[in-house]
Amino acid sequence: MTHAEMSEVYELYALGVLEPEAAAEIDQHLRDGCEHCERHVADAMGLVAAMASLAEPESPRAQVRERILGVVKPQRQRPTRNWMYAAAALAAACAALIIFSVSSRSELRHMRERLAALTEERDQLRSAVQILSRPDTRAVGFGRAGNAPHGRVLVNRNGGFVFVGSQLPELGSNQTFELWLVPASGAAPQPAGLFRPNAQGDSVHVSSAAVDARTTKAVAVSVEPSQGSNAPTTTPILVVPLA
Amino acid sequence: MHADDSADSRIIEQLRNRDPNGIAAAYDRYGRSAYALFVRITHDRAAAEDLLQELFLRLWDRGVKFDSSKGALGVWILSIARNLAIDHVRSAQTRFSSRLRSMEHLESLCFGDHPSGRESRITDVRSIQEAFAALSADEKRVMELAYFEGFSQSEIAANIQEPLGTVKSRVRSALGRLRVALGGNKKP
Ligand SMILES: [Zn+2]
Repeated sequence: MTHAEMSEVYELYALGVLEPEAAAEIDQHLRDGCEHCERHVADAMGLVAAMASLAEPESPRAQVRERILGVVKPQRQRPTRNWMYAAAALAAACAALIIFSVSSRSELRHMRERLAALTEERDQLRSAVQILSRPDTRAVGFGRAGNAPHGRVLVNRNGGFVFVGSQLPELGSNQTFELWLVPASGAAPQPAGLFRPNAQGDSVHVSSAAVDARTTKAVAVSVEPSQGSNAPTTTPILVVPLA
Repeated sequence: MHADDSADSRIIEQLRNRDPNGIAAAYDRYGRSAYALFVRITHDRAAAEDLLQELFLRLWDRGVKFDSSKGALGVWILSIARNLAIDHVRSAQTRFSSRLRSMEHLESLCFGDHPSGRESRITDVRSIQEAFAALSADEKRVMELAYFEGFSQSEIAANIQEPLGTVKSRVRSALGRLRVALGGNKKP
């Protein structure tokens, strides 16, 4: 595509309806850093986003806001990431649905929170599956099976990463594990999510943060206060080099 | 509704600090637009509410990564909303079709861990509504199919039973007219 041809299709690109080959060409061109096209694509994205206002105005019920704000709490105990939990929570949610007709206000609220947690659980599983199914995902193992911490980190440059760990040390009730991306540049580690293992000491954490193995040297885990930290406050218990 | 960019910057700061007030503020600012979009695309209010929740939980999840200097909060929210809704409809129809493309560029527009990327502000809503109203009925139709259904140009051609060439020139003239009406894409 010439530049003139490209300038015809910025909006189609932003709409995501361009033929795949043409879109891939623009992706690459932007990755190569053409500032001219970048500026125009940014404008086209703004135009496309504004097209949302062409929909007839509608307002969600007030409960939706409450439900969402009920889930996003900084100190909320994060559920452990595994299928058993999801199954148990699903069973609980079904039970809650059965008693729907007689439930009190607080039970209803509890059920909504449960469903919200499930939604998040499902999102995490879905992103894990997406990351695992990408052909360019790399697996890096750490530790040895046995009583020491071990597991693997699955990294995808664009899709994020999955951290799977076993035999991690026990946490105090007011502590959490925090994941860090350690930049190769020597800059400060970037926070990449909080997690708590299940009772068996196993944990799976999915992060949609893009991880570029050329600029990220390692994934690290440290023990932090339950709300997490912006920079590690303890020596990491694990440092998994990606190289 | 989106004229005040400093409000977006403040929300991004809150999200970066994992402050739930950021979600409340983002919801109050963009929740209705996103919900209207969900209803328009799915024609299902219950699904629209679920998607709204999914959208804001995702924002909560990704919020720490936002780069306030790029200011693209509204662009991110409404682009992800459109994608979620179209995916929802397609998976409900179990229609195996070209999913919307990856949102690679959206990421670099919004998040701090991408070195390049520019500011991206949502186009002024009133001007786009006026510009859209000025399109011909045929132009509106193709743009609606592209935006709300996520149809490619060949899918649009099949849907309205017109030759692909006709659809392409209609899309091109519609986009050209929107661009011109919006002042060559200059920001308001
Ligand atoms: Zn270019």
